[in-house]
Amino acid sequence: MADDDKDMFICRCEEVTLREIEQAIDEGFVTVTDIKRVTRAGMGLCQGRTCTKTIARIIAQRTGKPLEEVLPKSYRYPVRPEKLQVVENEEFNDAKDS
Amino acid sequence: MTHAADVLVIGGGIIGLSCGFYLTKRGKRVCVLDSGGFADGASGACDDMILFQSKKPGINLELTFESLELYKSLRAEVDDNLGFANLGGMVLIENQQELEIMEEFVSQQRSYGLDVEVIDKREIHKKQPFLSDHIIASTYSKMDSQIDPFAVMRAFERKGSSYGMKVFRRNGVVGIERIGNGDYLVSTQDGTVFQAPIVVNAAGTWAGQIGEMVGANVPITPKRGQIIITERVPPIGETNLWSAKYLVTKLRNDVVVDLNEDERSMGLSFAFTRSGGDTYLVGSTREYVGFDKGTTIGGIRAIINQTLKYLPRLRDVNFIRAIAGLRPSTPDGRMLLGEHAGIDGFFTAAGHEGDGIALAPITGTLLAAMVCRDPGDHRLDELSPNRFANL
Repeated sequence: MADDDKDMFICRCEEVTLREIEQAIDEGFVTVTDIKRVTRAGMGLCQGRTCTKTIARIIAQRTGKPLEEVLPKSYRYPVRPEKLQVVENEEFNDAKDS
Repeated sequence: MTHAADVLVIGGGIIGLSCGFYLTKRGKRVCVLDSGGFADGASGACDDMILFQSKKPGINLELTFESLELYKSLRAEVDDNLGFANLGGMVLIENQQELEIMEEFVSQQRSYGLDVEVIDKREIHKKQPFLSDHIIASTYSKMDSQIDPFAVMRAFERKGSSYGMKVFRRNGVVGIERIGNGDYLVSTQDGTVFQAPIVVNAAGTWAGQIGEMVGANVPITPKRGQIIITERVPPIGETNLWSAKYLVTKLRNDVVVDLNEDERSMGLSFAFTRSGGDTYLVGSTREYVGFDKGTTIGGIRAIINQTLKYLPRLRDVNFIRAIAGLRPSTPDGRMLLGEHAGIDGFFTAAGHEGDGIALAPITGTLLAAMVCRDPGDHRLDELSPNRFANL
């Protein structure tokens, strides 16, 4: 891969490049969650909805680990941005923890 | 397979990595052992405060000053700002009773050298134009600072590793035994055994379980704190914000603060801090729910309702994530730092509750001094784990 390609943004929200992600993997951070915490990839507005799978594939290719070992185990509320005024909505207010 | 080292640090959160880093700098061969991934525990699910105003005059406040200085040298050593910011902080006062208690607290803190004052509505409005009108007064300290826990942890690990520290993750400790020459053998899930004359229990919320393996009483209880994170927004005001409610509850258990039953059972209080990523971290609950680190709709709802009470204009701001961390709380609100009597070479450095980020560098530095048998520092006697030995 051309060296310039390493500067492409994998996480566009937080502007994290392929180079930064590969460097973190080489330092031993080998799950999507680890990569998020050390590079901020996936911490932005879309919360990784765009880049999670790409990052998982990069880790899998570079380490030989199976995808299911590197992907996050769970997702939790809110899965997309939600205005704080959601509490004015009765449905939310009546919601119980599932 | 057996790894030999001078010191084994159990726990790779911000405290364990700090201990590992400062021990390595003192020339020790250190292995840091962690059961999870990077920042899986409380260090990865907290805010980023080096908060002075929440500290009672005494050892915790004193150590926070020293920690702030150590953060300065750390930032110079790794040549990275680590997300450090000094926005100052305000503690919001809502009624006369809170005002009286906070005025007294502020004067105690001032006599201890903290630059803090009580400011009136006009001053409040200058610093925080969006704040609700029902706030009658506020404290203000320009000392309150913050630093990015993830950046700090990575810096401890990177720099520490460059000096020879080794970090092992996703491989929990399953047993500790002591052999004839006094060395400890620490065995892990994948069968690897680590051997060293010194073990440091820096397992945070889980430190009690590690203590049990050698018969040490480490009374640490998980306290769950839920936090929501907003989208990136321009600065809402000049400073970070807290409500006086939490401090008042902490200082005076005879005072009943104005919360509904639900909020009270969740230990709700307001913390509003701007992160390095230009988002706000908004909390928080303090719940005793065992080791369950899930977020709840009830918790998120209570945090939002409280936020809109203080900052009504935020109703149009999005939140993008909710997190929960288990704070390692101790019976007296102070950490455990020191060697266990009768268990030579076994140290605990854990139990920071909400002060782990603020106190990480000083904890690691003091722990390293103890392990290296520097002359004793009597101020630290009150942090000794032996205060709980006979309980």
